[in-house]
Amino acid sequence: MVAAAGVVVLMVGVLTLKLAQLQVYDSSNLAALARANTVHRTVLEADRGIIYDRHGVALVQNTPVWNLQVVPANLPTDARERAAELATLARLVGQPEDRSEASLVIADPFSPARIGADLTEAQVLAVTERLPSLPGASIAHHAVRTYTDPLTFGHLVGYVGPLDDTDLQRLKPLGYQPDEVVGKVGVEAGLESVLRGTDGWADVVVDARGQIVKTIAMQPPVAGHAVYLTIDASLQVATSHALAAGLSRDGKTAGASVVIDPQSGEVLALVSLPGYDTNLFIHGISQAAYNGLLTNPDRPLLNRAIAGQYAPGSTFKMVTAIAGLQEGKITPQTMLGCPSYLNYGGWIYHNWATYNLGYMNVAKALAVSCDTFFYQVAAMVGDVTLARYARAFGFGQAKDLEMPGVESGLVPDRIWKQLTCGVPDLNSDACRWTLGDTITFGIGQSALLTTPLNQAVYVAALANGGFVLQPTLVHLVRDASGRVTATQQRRVVGTVPASADNLQAVREGMREEINRPYNMNYWFRAAGVPADGGGKTGTAQWGGSGLNTPTHAWFVFFAPFAQPDIAMSVFVEGGELSEVEAAPIGVDIMQFNLNNHAAIRSATPLPPA
Amino acid sequence: MRPTAWQRLDHLQPLLAGMLVVLGLMTVYSAHADWVRQLVWVVLGAAAYVAATAFDYRRLQALAPWLYVAMLGLLLAVRLIGHTALGAQRWLSIGGFPLQPSELSKLVLVVVLAAYLSRLAGPSWRGFLGALALVAPVAALILTQPDLGTTIVVAALLVGMLFLAGARIAQLGSLAACAVIAVPLLPYLLHGYQRRRLEIFLNPGSDPLGAGYNLLQARIAVGAGGLFGQGWLHGLQGTLGFVPERATDFVFAVFAEQFGLLGSLLLLALFGILLIRLLRSAALAPDRFGGLVACGVFVVILAQVVENVGMNIGLLPIAGISLPLISYGGSATVTTLAALGLVQSVMLRRPLLVQPRPLLSGNITLRAQA
Repeated sequence: MVAAAGVVVLMVGVLTLKLAQLQVYDSSNLAALARANTVHRTVLEADRGIIYDRHGVALVQNTPVWNLQVVPANLPTDARERAAELATLARLVGQPEDRSEASLVIADPFSPARIGADLTEAQVLAVTERLPSLPGASIAHHAVRTYTDPLTFGHLVGYVGPLDDTDLQRLKPLGYQPDEVVGKVGVEAGLESVLRGTDGWADVVVDARGQIVKTIAMQPPVAGHAVYLTIDASLQVATSHALAAGLSRDGKTAGASVVIDPQSGEVLALVSLPGYDTNLFIHGISQAAYNGLLTNPDRPLLNRAIAGQYAPGSTFKMVTAIAGLQEGKITPQTMLGCPSYLNYGGWIYHNWATYNLGYMNVAKALAVSCDTFFYQVAAMVGDVTLARYARAFGFGQAKDLEMPGVESGLVPDRIWKQLTCGVPDLNSDACRWTLGDTITFGIGQSALLTTPLNQAVYVAALANGGFVLQPTLVHLVRDASGRVTATQQRRVVGTVPASADNLQAVREGMREEINRPYNMNYWFRAAGVPADGGGKTGTAQWGGSGLNTPTHAWFVFFAPFAQPDIAMSVFVEGGELSEVEAAPIGVDIMQFNLNNHAAIRSATPLPPA
Repeated sequence: MRPTAWQRLDHLQPLLAGMLVVLGLMTVYSAHADWVRQLVWVVLGAAAYVAATAFDYRRLQALAPWLYVAMLGLLLAVRLIGHTALGAQRWLSIGGFPLQPSELSKLVLVVVLAAYLSRLAGPSWRGFLGALALVAPVAALILTQPDLGTTIVVAALLVGMLFLAGARIAQLGSLAACAVIAVPLLPYLLHGYQRRRLEIFLNPGSDPLGAGYNLLQARIAVGAGGLFGQGWLHGLQGTLGFVPERATDFVFAVFAEQFGLLGSLLLLALFGILLIRLLRSAALAPDRFGGLVACGVFVVILAQVVENVGMNIGLLPIAGISLPLISYGGSATVTTLAALGLVQSVMLRRPLLVQPRPLLSGNITLRAQA
């Protein structure tokens, strides 16, 4: 009996020692494990800010979607039960059963892994009903971007997509999570920090099945800011339609147009064709679809409005004219010849016309776009001065627009030629700047490159009296509570060194061009648009010289003449005759602008927050 | 002087049992088990306790062979028509109520072994082998259900009762030798999951989400309790279901998380005192049979407490054993309370040995028995 009592005391003693070890010595560690088991931090996703046009038309929406996710660690441990549950889940969301198990192999066992995306309401109901018997599974709510009319607004608005590895490295310090989305191109990318919002969190107590029992602390998410673009949605649509119609009239497939307010620098429309369906990128585009876009000869992924770099051709002649006038090489009254060709250093340089157009002043030379006139002016001004004037108009300068991928174009000069001639001896003939380079520079050829955006800013400067403006896409920004946090102010980034008289002489030439009776004026009369403004066409050669070299067609335009409130550039890739292919597009855009002038220019009524 | 029936009863024993039952109900409630049903079992158990106390335990001696046969019959019935749950066939359905004959068999075996051993004149090898022969078929039937936990209890019962009945050291030594020989064979004898449990016990971190989960979560719960516990109904691990089998096998972990080291020590103290009281009852028993019955009940409860608490805190391998009076379960609760009632029956019927001692210091000392 005593021995048995001794056994009791001994056993109780041993158990007590072990208990003391667990509950005193190891207690803090084990308590932390218990907390880690039961208290989970969940991220409360912030709604991304909506992108509106200047009047509050939503260009993107946050569409709620429900995803089925599982925490692998909370699935049944028994392999057969686990497989059965995954099969059940796959069946409930209508997916092939073998996929979910495979996708979980690589997943972090303690983080939710998505096994069913974008569930229908019926699927959500079906899964929710059965959740109590499905340990580890849960329904997560996400907001997904849905873009309005992506073929029209896609290049402008851009799209968001899952973070890739480089994004993640760049954005991890900003607190981005691997399952987040980030703006990839367009305004979505350019205004990422404004649109993103701040995720909140909640510390929730979950039971062994992963079901939330209660919330013990939370930080609510703060939605991203709403952005009101300077774009007028109706004008954007009209521009897109006019461009598309013009392209198809002439059997072309690619082009771009930028419409800008020459007084404020606000971009009213920014179109690049062909567009593509940005909604394809929301969940990560399929490789096949992406390859299709990449190999499409029309290069739909290229936003030509900001990143297409082309020779400006004759649309550059206003710069040459200003340079000649301002440098005192010519006056508005100076008469120069316009022969069918000129000889510089033994090389023949042709005018577009095969006959002599006679003597003319600068305005007339602009109106008839006489190449040989401007060869002479360029030769007088010299390449260095010409490059300075080109840069003063914003050529060769990447505009600080609120989207990534804006290209600068190129203003060639002697150093550039030496660096790019591709010959080791920089003093060889191939690397030397020639007079031929100078005179072709003067008609917007040589190696000069510009973008439709730069062209719009350039023509706006001609329209507004010489102010090179900062183009902008952001009209105003409102935070989640509706408070306006930012409005865009007109920003002048440079002033063209040109007297008012000289500017006026060039503008006269532009007015004269669109009023040529059997030429440009036809389009205006046909469309019922008064030719009150200034324009210039350009057919730019590229990829060589000679008669059959490929060309692009340009048209730049501002109106009305006295107080311009609109300026635009129209670009037709592969266009052969700018007066026929590019100009009518600009006239169509102008027609819409005039017909809807009040609506486009009305003050933005702020929709309720 | 003749002690009244009231005076002969062990007053402390039902009090301790009652306190344990209350703690058990509180824990079962906190573990989100069906506490109302458990309350019904407790009431039934209390009735069984009273009935067993009233019943003259000496009549069991004659009934022992029949009880033994009935028990074998029940265990066989489980094999043939029993319900399967958690991979083992352990339950019989009696009028809609699930009955676990292996729980009942522990009490019956106590009675049978007590009856058998009390008839033996001395510690003979023949008697020793006879006891083995009595236990062997029962253990075999229970082990193959499979119910390793109850088998361990049955084995402990055999060894404990042989020891308390005065078996020779050599006899117990030979049992120990058999055990030593059997251990290497264990992997072949055990079921897959039982073998896995053993491996996990030896290396608990090897598979934290798989088979080691139970052990790990129970330990976490116990440790999270700390010194004073999380408070009743405030245990995270237990109430949220991270502790598996939280109302039965791992009820101690749930208890320890809520009541801490102090509560755990209180629980162990209650069990310790109860066990000592059972030993006292054995010592006070009027006959060898009664003494051995009390011894048997003592061994059964001791073995279950040690194994259950031991596996909850990672000291012993996991075997499905409930904590007496605490764990949820009808058969176990009723059987345990009936067993305690039986010991009370022994106490009630101890000889009316009133031996007026010589007055030594002007005080009358009553000693029941040496």
